[in-house]
Amino acid sequence: MAKPIGAAADRPLSPHLQIWRWTPTMAASILHRATGLALYAGAALLAGWFAALAIGPKVFSPAADFLASPFGLVILFGFAWSLFFHSLNGLRHLYWDSGRGLRPKTALMTSWLVFAASLIGAAALFAPILIGWS
Amino acid sequence: MSAKGTSSFIAMRASSVLLLPLAAWFVWSVAKHGLADYETARDWAARPRNAGLGALFIALSAFHMRIGLQEVIEDYVHDGFKGGLAALNWIAAIAVAIAGGFAAWRLAF
Repeated sequence: MAKPIGAAADRPLSPHLQIWRWTPTMAASILHRATGLALYAGAALLAGWFAALAIGPKVFSPAADFLASPFGLVILFGFAWSLFFHSLNGLRHLYWDSGRGLRPKTALMTSWLVFAASLIGAAALFAPILIGWS
Repeated sequence: MSAKGTSSFIAMRASSVLLLPLAAWFVWSVAKHGLADYETARDWAARPRNAGLGALFIALSAFHMRIGLQEVIEDYVHDGFKGGLAALNWIAAIAVAIAGGFAAWRLAF
């Protein structure tokens, strides 16, 4: 797109991120996109896991060992929490698409609900793994 | 900007509705098996139902994530890089879907 010369510099900019007071609904909106991006990598990881499994133990075992290391577990926890958060917040989006749940109070409450449920879900999924690991 | 707003909107939501039960199945499978060793994981993935659902989960995720990243690209990336990144996005999504599908097919048959 062509820009008129000298026109861009004089225009006022809209307030950027640090101007706004953070709210749970805003954080949930940003995190929906962030977890979506993380899950892009997560899907590639899952496809890689399947491919490694199909190729054989020579490829699978080192990869599995890495994922079971502390650093690997952090990645897996991020993947799990992202999946919980994006799924639950996606459910919230579908509910909004039906025209419901859009009042500020309701949206605020459901954002807290999604934060809490996604953390509990990821923690519950990981508790047995961490107990087995330590 | 491509004029694909409505079809993207519908494709995003339709795939999300299908992905929700698949994600639940995936989480349930992980909860059941944890970090499995090779033998356990292979026995699990060799069952056609698990291989099929796994491949479907990966393929639908690829479909869904390509549209999502396309939106992010359109929001943040300047015109000069848009086309190239959109192409990379397509290639990455197709590679993920094919890798998942091919691996599942090899595992189950």
